[in-house]
Amino acid sequence: MSTRAIGAQTITVSGNPGLLRISTAVAGSQPTSVSDATRTFTVNTPPGGGGAKYNVSMNIDANMPAGVTLTATLAIPAGSAATATPVALDVTPRLALSAIKKNYTGSATMTYQLAATAAAGVVPVSSRTVTLTIVLAP
Amino acid sequence: MNANRILATMALIAGVAGAASAQTATQSVTFQVDAINQISFSGSPSLVINTATAGSAPTSATAGATWAVTTNQTGAKITASIGSAMPSGLTLQVNLSAPAGATSAGAQTLSTTAVDVVTSITKLAQTAIGVNYSLAATAAAGVVSSTSRTVTYTITGGT
Repeated sequence: MSTRAIGAQTITVSGNPGLLRISTAVAGSQPTSVSDATRTFTVNTPPGGGGAKYNVSMNIDANMPAGVTLTATLAIPAGSAATATPVALDVTPRLALSAIKKNYTGSATMTYQLAATAAAGVVPVSSRTVTLTIVLAP
Repeated sequence: MNANRILATMALIAGVAGAASAQTATQSVTFQVDAINQISFSGSPSLVINTATAGSAPTSATAGATWAVTTNQTGAKITASIGSAMPSGLTLQVNLSAPAGATSAGAQTLSTTAVDVVTSITKLAQTAIGVNYSLAATAAAGVVSSTSRTVTYTITGGT
């Protein structure tokens, strides 16, 4: 039966990144951005399905404060044949990794970068839930 | 036979539908932005008084430099002071231009007591802002050999 061979694609992450905290600037420049690359993600795609490829999109549960940008970059898992695009996260799912080949399992680093303008002001500790979704590419 | 073909087709459709369904993972990202107040000054201006109009006090000397600021607070201010008093009869003044939206206090005489030079600095990052120094001397000050003063600027965050 083809249903057993095709299965379902999956994506998992290795936990939450550390606190992203902006605390300094070079005088005359915008506050210095910070990043975290301590976490990884793992994708698994099923075999079969002809030329099937898979995409990973990312979004957050609420928009970032004005002047604050959270950017996610998924590294390309080795041998996945995918392409990656840094994503400024908002509530709209945006393509972060595209054209992952079928019948593939692999992991790679995910990097979050936090940037803020001076106009953003002081932002107390806040959090966002990031959702990564893997789907069959159209 | 037809029934078998129909079942097989249905199974294939069901399988493709399963693969197309979204699979998700979630993470919690925590962040914050602290109060940031940074200033910098470029240049080491040199001021030399070496002439006068007869009958007047020696002619003042002036020199320029620039400064830069980043603050993400509202109503920050900058004060200035020098580490030791000027020789008798000499007056060192500084005039910082204001960045966008802020207020300059104009020319201020420097002493060991900090004085406000720019106030109401609010949420900006700006470079190449002008600063002018002026050195004045009375005839009574006499000849003063080369000496220097370190001007200390301090930015105090607002709210």
